[in-house]
Amino acid sequence: MQSNEIIKMNGVNKSYGGRQAVRDLNLSVAKGEFFGFLGPNGAGKTTTIRLMTGILKPDTGEIEISGKPVSEKSHRSDKIGVLSESKGLYEWMTGREFLRFFVSLYGVKNLNGRIDELLAAVGLADRADSPVLSYSRGMKQRLKLARAIANDPEILFLDEPTLGLDPQGQEDIQRLLKKMNDKGMTIFYSSHLLHEVSRLCNRMAVIADGALVADGTLEDLRRQTKKEDLRDIFLALTK
Amino acid sequence: MHKLIWKKDILAEIYTWKSALWLLLTALIYSVTCYLLLTNKELSLLDQTEMLWLLGKIIIGASLLVAIIDASSLITTEFEQETIEDLFLSPLPVRDFILGKFLTVMSVWALMYAVAVPYVLVSSAGSNLSAVFLAYAALYGTLLIAGFTVLVFGLSFLYRSFKNTLTTSLVLFLAAGIPALFAATLKTGIVASVITAINPLDAAFASLDNVLVDYHASLSANWPYLLSILGFSAAAGVFLFVSVRIFEKRGVIKE
Repeated sequence: MQSNEIIKMNGVNKSYGGRQAVRDLNLSVAKGEFFGFLGPNGAGKTTTIRLMTGILKPDTGEIEISGKPVSEKSHRSDKIGVLSESKGLYEWMTGREFLRFFVSLYGVKNLNGRIDELLAAVGLADRADSPVLSYSRGMKQRLKLARAIANDPEILFLDEPTLGLDPQGQEDIQRLLKKMNDKGMTIFYSSHLLHEVSRLCNRMAVIADGALVADGTLEDLRRQTKKEDLRDIFLALTK
Repeated sequence: MHKLIWKKDILAEIYTWKSALWLLLTALIYSVTCYLLLTNKELSLLDQTEMLWLLGKIIIGASLLVAIIDASSLITTEFEQETIEDLFLSPLPVRDFILGKFLTVMSVWALMYAVAVPYVLVSSAGSNLSAVFLAYAALYGTLLIAGFTVLVFGLSFLYRSFKNTLTTSLVLFLAAGIPALFAATLKTGIVASVITAINPLDAAFASLDNVLVDYHASLSANWPYLLSILGFSAAAGVFLFVSVRIFEKRGVIKE
């Protein structure tokens, strides 16, 4: 176990309607890590993120964020930001209005300054006063990213952030995330694309059918599976 | 934080033209009603107090219908457009979320009431009933809309779907509204008396009759009716409390 762990999951189980979505999950992420969370569709990645962010409650087990149980809402909302898979946009608002609403919910001081900072960070300053409805998919995703970091979180959870984006959109998001991580933000990056995760993350965990099947660097995964090719590693771990 | 939710939803009402449509619709209903009351051969024979009573029922009924439709969409759209997850990841308490939504419905009601005022003044010209009419319409409209809004919010947290919430709410509105349309002479049995006693819409209309037609305008003369409406609102409050507890237990995302 690392001493500076910022996310800690111990023996977490979660089932819905008789199906075990997450089974006996033990996971820790160190402060400042760019952590990849891999798994095929339906493996339990989204459920795990929802458990870690307090949106779902585990059946058994413990989850801690920055040293406190995730069930403490005030602590949680202060420390984390989430870019989820959900649509989650008020499309009738302008980008600026949308951010104003969420930044206000977090009670951030210097509201206008923070909104301008966020818009500049995600490259939407020139389209800030256009309705969200007119944004491209990539722009919407960048706006959601701006909302996710509205409270300047210590940990940013991302659930398939580049899903459905063109290569340029993917590149934009990944560049932004790398920049945030360089500034010290811990990033928990969930994806089913090993090449994406291996390019960005220092360490990764692989989940299949709700259970953790591997945890380590890309080299560790290569050693574990005795495969070189990224696709083969992924398939060997998740079959 | 309830003010932020209220401001956002008022903006949504304006940007999506919902409020403008509601106001136009209610103004149209009032205009047609007043026009018929004043020009239709049969209706114009009504006594002015009867005429005002009918107008009162239409003002409260139409506003309640609009408020129910509006309230049905306010919470459920947060579920359907998947913004609820981000709202509850922020420090927003459920209480403030509900209060903000509640204030939005009450703001729309305030506007609908303002639209109704000129029609009341014109229809009650020549009588000394306009002030008492406006006061009781404001009182009963506010209490009924508050009670039904709370009930609809409770359904919204259980169903998380606009269609289901709206359908159930409209069935409940019709269940309350239909007996209220029967004349008092048709409601003389024990069952009918019980229904009248627990039906908030029936109580409001009976009280308006008491005030406008029978000139019993004091609050003490209308206390039993008021009690019935307050009882309904309290029951709706308990229902909302229970459904919020269920929502919190299930989690923001339905499993």
